Amino acid sequence: MANPNLGLILKQLFSRPYTNRFPVKYAPASMHATMDAVTSGKAQITPPVPAPEHYRGKIAYDREACIGCKMCIKVCPASAIEHIPGPDGKAKGSKVKFYMSRCTFCEMCVEACPKDCIKMTGEFLMADADKNSDALIVKDSGSFAAPAQPAAQQPAPPTA
Amino acid sequence: MIQAIAVKLILSAIVAIASIYVGLGLKGVDRKLAARMQGRIGPPLRQPFWDVSKLFQKENIVPYHAVDWVFNLMPLVAFTSAIVIMLYMPIGPLKPVLGGFGDLILVVYLFAFPSLAMAIGGFSSGSPIGAIGAQREMVVMMSYELPLAIVVFSRAMILSSGGIEGLTLKLAIDPWSMVGMLGIIGLCLLLASLLMVIPGELAKIPFDQPEAETELAGGVLAEYSGRNMGMFYLADAVKSLAIASLVIALFFPWGISSYFSGLPELGGYAVTAWALDGAFFLLKVFLILLVSVTVVRVVMPRVKIDRASSFYMFTTGAIAAIGMLLIYICINGGF
Amino acid sequence: MAGKSYTLPIGPVHPALKEPTMFKLTVEGEIVTAVDVQPGINHRGIEFIGMRRNPLQVLHLAERICGICSIVHQYSFALASEKAAGITEIPERAQYIRTIMAELERVHSHLLWAGVAAHELGFDTLLHWTWQLREWVQDVLEIISGNRVNYAMYIQGGVRRDISPEVIQKLKVMIADYRAGIDQLCKAFTDDRVFRHRTMGVGVLTYKDAVETCAVGPTTRGSGVHKDVRIDQPFGGYADLDLDYCLPEKMGYENNGDTYAKTLVRLQEVVQSLDIIEFCLDNMPPGPIRWESNMTKLLQHMKKAEGEALGLNEAPRGEMIHYVKLNAGDENVSIWKVRASTYNNILAWTKMLPGCQIADVSIIAAAVDPCIGCMDRVTVVDQDTGKEKLFSNEDFYRASIRKTRAYQRKVSP
Repeated sequence: MANPNLGLILKQLFSRPYTNRFPVKYAPASMHATMDAVTSGKAQITPPVPAPEHYRGKIAYDREACIGCKMCIKVCPASAIEHIPGPDGKAKGSKVKFYMSRCTFCEMCVEACPKDCIKMTGEFLMADADKNSDALIVKDSGSFAAPAQPAAQQPAPPTA
Repeated sequence: MIQAIAVKLILSAIVAIASIYVGLGLKGVDRKLAARMQGRIGPPLRQPFWDVSKLFQKENIVPYHAVDWVFNLMPLVAFTSAIVIMLYMPIGPLKPVLGGFGDLILVVYLFAFPSLAMAIGGFSSGSPIGAIGAQREMVVMMSYELPLAIVVFSRAMILSSGGIEGLTLKLAIDPWSMVGMLGIIGLCLLLASLLMVIPGELAKIPFDQPEAETELAGGVLAEYSGRNMGMFYLADAVKSLAIASLVIALFFPWGISSYFSGLPELGGYAVTAWALDGAFFLLKVFLILLVSVTVVRVVMPRVKIDRASSFYMFTTGAIAAIGMLLIYICINGGF
Repeated sequence: MAGKSYTLPIGPVHPALKEPTMFKLTVEGEIVTAVDVQPGINHRGIEFIGMRRNPLQVLHLAERICGICSIVHQYSFALASEKAAGITEIPERAQYIRTIMAELERVHSHLLWAGVAAHELGFDTLLHWTWQLREWVQDVLEIISGNRVNYAMYIQGGVRRDISPEVIQKLKVMIADYRAGIDQLCKAFTDDRVFRHRTMGVGVLTYKDAVETCAVGPTTRGSGVHKDVRIDQPFGGYADLDLDYCLPEKMGYENNGDTYAKTLVRLQEVVQSLDIIEFCLDNMPPGPIRWESNMTKLLQHMKKAEGEALGLNEAPRGEMIHYVKLNAGDENVSIWKVRASTYNNILAWTKMLPGCQIADVSIIAAAVDPCIGCMDRVTVVDQDTGKEKLFSNEDFYRASIRKTRAYQRKVSP
């Protein structure tokens, strides 16, 4: 009658749970109070599991380097990229902007870009109540040629 | 007279509230331990309390095709009958509150009540899922009644052989000391069959066919929501405490306070001894539920309804019957 | 027993179904007497969207047909559009990487299925354990491709990312560990008495029924039908491999097509996939991974191309077909039609379900590994009234006859 799974459950009972740690142990009574405490440094949350090297996260866009060739728009399967015409509505000096709420994170625009002015960061915390909020529209992430910005690599603190 | 009734009422209320709290606490422990056995973190221990308070705040929906007065009455019946069982149970050092008004037979029938109420509620919900769940509930119930009855009568047999009223629950009588070697083997078999009955009685995997999430989407409870659902939830929590108390009352009615001498008293009452016995009682309840509910539901899948029925009727029934036979031989043959 | 029969709806949303679909059971007591499958609830019009995009865009849209077997959709579409556009010289290294990805996905899909099957039986411990095991293959997929699902690995004429030597090392460690893990898992499934009791002789799909309903994949291999696209019509890296059909008889069980047989097939296929991955890693040729790395040129080529083609692939659930038609001068895909494996397998329900108990419905339904997201393709909406109509097989049959008659009249007045 020995059950084959008895050993397994006993082993698991006395070992650490396999689940990744949640940011806080259990759902707090007030989410806002917890968030405030975390941002003011009074409380600690368990950091997220780090993303791997080639993770496809939020897009970073070097507006200065962009030549407005529209290649990224051509290959984007989700129509997540909007073309902004240059001054006087001319093609010259035209730029793009990215709507992350539509993005499917396929990395096609990154490959298609002839100037390498688009890249994907490890940032994955993009939950927002409003799909058109500023946090979800990438207009300019600064120059890539400048020394790497550590802020762009780390997940931004969630807004309360 | 009035004073006596008032005391009983107050005691009943205390027992009712305490058993709800302890029952929900045990549910929390069960969920946490099951989660850890499966390698998960699991909910906090206070999760069942949150669940109940949330259910009681939610809207109570009665389906269009339901017989609404039966549908709304049955959760109440289930809940009250679960509480009433606790009033007939010796709880640790305390004598049963309503001990003078009924015996073990009544308790066994009271145990059928919540299941019966659930089945009627399922039938009255007017949904085919509820109806199938209710049919299954009745089948499982009828199956486990047999081993349960055998256990109760074997115990009565032992007690009456010692010249004690067989069906009483008032006295903490140790059945193990009243029988010989053969009887002890018989008692072990009876205990095993009673432990096997517990998952069926509480509708837990592998015998949760009436609810069967992946087959019937909740079965008897499919149409219940809000307050009614909360009532069934509480009934389930109290019932798990009650069935563990029954095991303790029948097989392990000991306290530990007698092993300690010089326990401090308060105003002439042996408060410390009671607390000690109460804690020991809770420990026993926890261990019984751990063995018969938590571990079993983690290591086994759900069985089919015909299998469940034959398991109780034949396997468990046979184990109980052999136990009864051994005890009979022991008592009458003098082994 | 002359019991009253009544209808038990399973779906559109039901705990036993991981995706919305609908089937109505006629039940007498606990026995199912008849089944009526009514799919079409998860229709998203993805083919319609695809026909307004160029092949490079559709590639990533195809992935999103399904969250579990996502890469096989991409694989099929890539094969079909390559054939249609006349791209034939796909580098060998790319083909091997394609095979590795597809097989990694098969491992994770089958492990997911095993967990779901355990859950259907109320065996949550095994579910959590299986999915613990599955986490690792997902991590490896994430390391290779950058995401846990929807890997975006393929492109017409190659793959988009190479597998570096460090990742190969990780993969080898994973495979070695998986072999031990799968061994234990097999034991957990086959040794458990209740599991055997619940699956043996349950949901039997006979050889004849399997052939008649055109079931595909593990569903049909459980019945002993020799059908596997990877072996019958080898493509990509599979052509270099010496594969054999995974049949229950190899694990000492009859090919009787019950749920236990299907479980054994899937467990074997996990091991087979590990073998394939190992072979591909050991024999991966060096070289480029793309036919054309300039995306503008690739787009131009696709725009000029004219042709139609079928892309066949063996998904974890069975054979899957993408039909693609490209018109010269038209940037977009002209016609794109997907026939996913579940579309065939779901018909097997009508053969497997009658006569079983209600308790068995969920495991039988799960045994074909239904992927409703893949399947639901056709819904017709009347624009004037807003009414939706689902086309059944018979409707198509009638429509086809009508059209033939119309042509006949036209040709010979």
